[in-house]
Amino acid sequence: MRRRFRTPPRRVTAVTAVAALGMGLFGACARDVGSAGEGPGGGGGRRTTVTIGTFGVFGYKQAGLYEEYERLHPGITIKESVIERNDAYYPQLLTHLAAGGGLSDIQAVEVGNIHDVATTQADRFVDLSRAAGVRADTWLDWKWAQATSPDGRTIGLGTDIGPIAVCYRKDLFAKAGLPTDRAGVGRLWAGDWRKYLETGRAYRRRAPAGTVFTDSAAGIYNAAIHGYAERYYDRRGHRVVGRSPAVRESWNLAVRAARDGLTARLKQFEKPWDQAYANGRFATVACPPWMLGYIKEKAGPAGEDKWDIAPAPRPANWGGSFITVPKAARHRKAAVALAVWLTAPEQQARLFDRQASIPSTPASYAMPQVRDARNPYFGDAPTGRIFSAAARSVPKLVIGPREQQIGTAFTDVGIPQVEQQGRSPAAAWKAAQKEIHNAVDE
Amino acid sequence: MRAGPVTYAVLALFTAGSLFPLVWTAVTASRDNARLARTPPPFRFGDRLLTNLGTAWSEAHMGLALFNTVLVAGAVALGTVLFATTAGFAFAKLRFRFRTALLLTTVGTMMVPPQLSVVPLFMVVAELHWTNQLQSVVLPTLVSAFGVFFMRQYLVEALPTELVEAARVDGASSLRVLWHVVFPVARPAMAVLGMLSFVQAWNDFFWPIIALTQENPTVQVALTGLGRGYVPDQAVIMAGALLGTLPLLLAFTLFGRQIVGGIMQGAVKG
Amino acid sequence: MTAATEAVGDRPAPPPEDLDRPPRSGPRPWRSRLYRWDVRYSPYVFVAPFFLFFSAFGIFPLLYTGWASLHRVELYAPDQLEWVGLHNYARLLGDDFFWNALRNTFTIGVLSTVPQLLMALGLAHLLHYRLRAASFWRVALLTPYATSVAAATLVFVLLYGRDYGMVNWALEAVGAGPVDWQSSTWSSQIAVSSIVIWRWTGYNALIYLAAMQAVPDELYESAALDGASRAQQFRHVTVPALRPTILFTVVVSTIGATQLFGEPLLFGGAGGQKGGASHQFQTLGLYLYEQGWFNFHLGRASAVAWTMFLILLLIGAVNLLIARGMRKSR
Repeated sequence: MRRRFRTPPRRVTAVTAVAALGMGLFGACARDVGSAGEGPGGGGGRRTTVTIGTFGVFGYKQAGLYEEYERLHPGITIKESVIERNDAYYPQLLTHLAAGGGLSDIQAVEVGNIHDVATTQADRFVDLSRAAGVRADTWLDWKWAQATSPDGRTIGLGTDIGPIAVCYRKDLFAKAGLPTDRAGVGRLWAGDWRKYLETGRAYRRRAPAGTVFTDSAAGIYNAAIHGYAERYYDRRGHRVVGRSPAVRESWNLAVRAARDGLTARLKQFEKPWDQAYANGRFATVACPPWMLGYIKEKAGPAGEDKWDIAPAPRPANWGGSFITVPKAARHRKAAVALAVWLTAPEQQARLFDRQASIPSTPASYAMPQVRDARNPYFGDAPTGRIFSAAARSVPKLVIGPREQQIGTAFTDVGIPQVEQQGRSPAAAWKAAQKEIHNAVDE
Repeated sequence: MRAGPVTYAVLALFTAGSLFPLVWTAVTASRDNARLARTPPPFRFGDRLLTNLGTAWSEAHMGLALFNTVLVAGAVALGTVLFATTAGFAFAKLRFRFRTALLLTTVGTMMVPPQLSVVPLFMVVAELHWTNQLQSVVLPTLVSAFGVFFMRQYLVEALPTELVEAARVDGASSLRVLWHVVFPVARPAMAVLGMLSFVQAWNDFFWPIIALTQENPTVQVALTGLGRGYVPDQAVIMAGALLGTLPLLLAFTLFGRQIVGGIMQGAVKG
Repeated sequence: MTAATEAVGDRPAPPPEDLDRPPRSGPRPWRSRLYRWDVRYSPYVFVAPFFLFFSAFGIFPLLYTGWASLHRVELYAPDQLEWVGLHNYARLLGDDFFWNALRNTFTIGVLSTVPQLLMALGLAHLLHYRLRAASFWRVALLTPYATSVAAATLVFVLLYGRDYGMVNWALEAVGAGPVDWQSSTWSSQIAVSSIVIWRWTGYNALIYLAAMQAVPDELYESAALDGASRAQQFRHVTVPALRPTILFTVVVSTIGATQLFGEPLLFGGAGGQKGGASHQFQTLGLYLYEQGWFNFHLGRASAVAWTMFLILLLIGAVNLLIARGMRKSR
């Protein structure tokens, strides 16, 4: 599963990963370097510094939420520490947990990891379902369920989610003789990703020179697989990768798209992908809301008024996060209060306004910041309505351990072997299975 | 033997090859993000070099980073040279118990893949509460097994044993021998080792990025914080890469003759 | 990451010089005692600072890694070590990913080291002529050495881009088809090797040049008198004289090649630790990294590290034998 806001500079990503890992691994020994201590010593008004650790840009600070909370709660200071990538952040969190030290008062957890945390580490976290002001039905039911342990403790409150739409180029669609209005485009493939590929083949027949239908086969795979309730694990928690219909169907779609030449054979979030936006190389891309800013920046002014957003064939969720409070938190009570406040519908709506992260609390969708949101770059598309509609119909996803390693075995190994290296789907499938076997090791 | 035109042509070709990636880094750093994405790639300088350098400078806390890096690289170079010379001298010319065993151990550890020492190394640093402090980067690199070995190899041949003996006969203490006999002889190799260690420390990122953060970075660490946010800005990243390399390039241009001379002098014996 | 500072020499130690005899004309008794202490213990003082730091930052990590390699350790619970004996090593024997990485490390090592050293030798030969602006050429050829792996790889990734890279753009300009540099085994390994070659050729050329300058002119003169051409002089005078230096650079490059890490990692972009979709440029260093940091199998990663270590020791031993043989044959 993709991390949200996956946009760090390429050359450092892995390096940052080591960094966090090194730190994480032995964070136990590091007795809090960035001392989350009390404020100015002695004196009267003791200040409590609540620390919050996130991966990527969560936007709380940018949206002014910390500032407001500090104003509402004199005596509280909020300090945020950000690690750019989740594959650096998560291992660090694990080690800190194991060591019971070095933790922030609030720790973010990505959706791909929430299962591990909720099942294997639940007793290291505060059960937030009992916190004051928390009601399960505030959140989308599947979001709530993901952070709930088998014995019913909910250790994380949902922040954003990543419902998928399809971003498409109106101008290219027009040249290819396809409809260009949102509703019309949505109808082309409504209900089935196979229709999306059919549209792709129609596009290919009359494609403007130098363009292809979509960016990458892995993108299609991600968009498709996240629309199934059971993917790599069944409801009883058994790994079913090899025989899961969801995996099979998504795989077939991706492989089909690659072999039919519908993709630009790109790796998402890599430089050539950026360059392809700038050069207008492909006509569609499956896009969660947080990708809109990326497209706008990379496609640049030349793409102004050319892009638009249509509903995806099937609702799916790609990414999203939780915030948790470890039991070892220094200011547990203050942290819980802050976590509850940050994830309340009002604050989530404001975050959408600022950050385009779709709230996981349905009540937010009726708020003006979400309901009336439009994106001028994408032809004034009503992004709030499009994405919240998608959010409501996302199936209740079953997630399991090592989602990330399993996911990348398909998106970074199996699919590119077919798409970029021209290997047979059967061989690539086998390679992906082998990759999973090596990574999971049970 | 005088060089003919062919020699010059070949040298020019290789020089161009050596310089091109650097020049092109500067070219990309002088453009904007959108231009970098288009084809054909830019060949000429644009007008945004200063803007991008400025952005990179402020975004990456480059001032502090450069200061830190000079400090770290300088300390590493000095310390490495000093410790390696004394130890190298002992291994080359003095007799003591476990000499061979110690030397072999030293040489052996040069072969440990650095990726893995990082983990236990961090344990040590964390235990000492050194994370995010410069000494966490300086001290572990201060002792280079290569340095000791390098100095030993040099001194075995370059330092005449009679010279040491003569000093001894005159009743000179070990310190005096070190200062008046060993150091003068070892100077060229010390210069080379110092230069090698300095460049190495300057460009090292694997370990510093683990021990330090953006709050107290070296140049390479600072560069990893560049262009963050939703959308990486390629031009700014290239500008940052340029900023990180520029000081060394400048030093190479200014002291090129001495550096090259040093490498060559050290290499003959080393 | 061909680390020049990770070299191993090619010369075995000469017998130690005997320096601990007391001086003939001794000073007064207490001074003489002091002097004896000085002679006896100063060697330890000289090596002490080095070994103090070294045991904390060099030996401890090595031993810890060895200990971890005998356990099942997961990043999920790094404090829980479960003894598995040699299982991690035995597992490597049947691990295709490991053998693939070993193979890649070897081929990339050859691809990067052989042309690098040959070109360096040729360049040194040219630099050895009397040149105008001699310093300029030397400094210019050395500049890549000043560039960090990160900065260098950044540029090369752009140059080797499949769709919009400059190399393909140039290839197409001369009528050759574009190459998908990252996707095929050979092209990706060549691309990675070229980064190594770019950074280290000039440096090695200067080392060779230094050695060449140490060759006495008379050797060339007498060879010339015997009617040897320049090429023959190069082969029969220069190369034999350079043999120890060549061996030295070969060893340095070999160690660097075995530990190659930064270039392929950054060349691969996001998910670079896999070294491409088919692991086509995954080196041992990358595999170790993937196992430990991405799959969270710390014990396995440690085993890979120690295996690399042993391979290098083996190479070192072979090298020592060759050096000995060469010395004897002289």
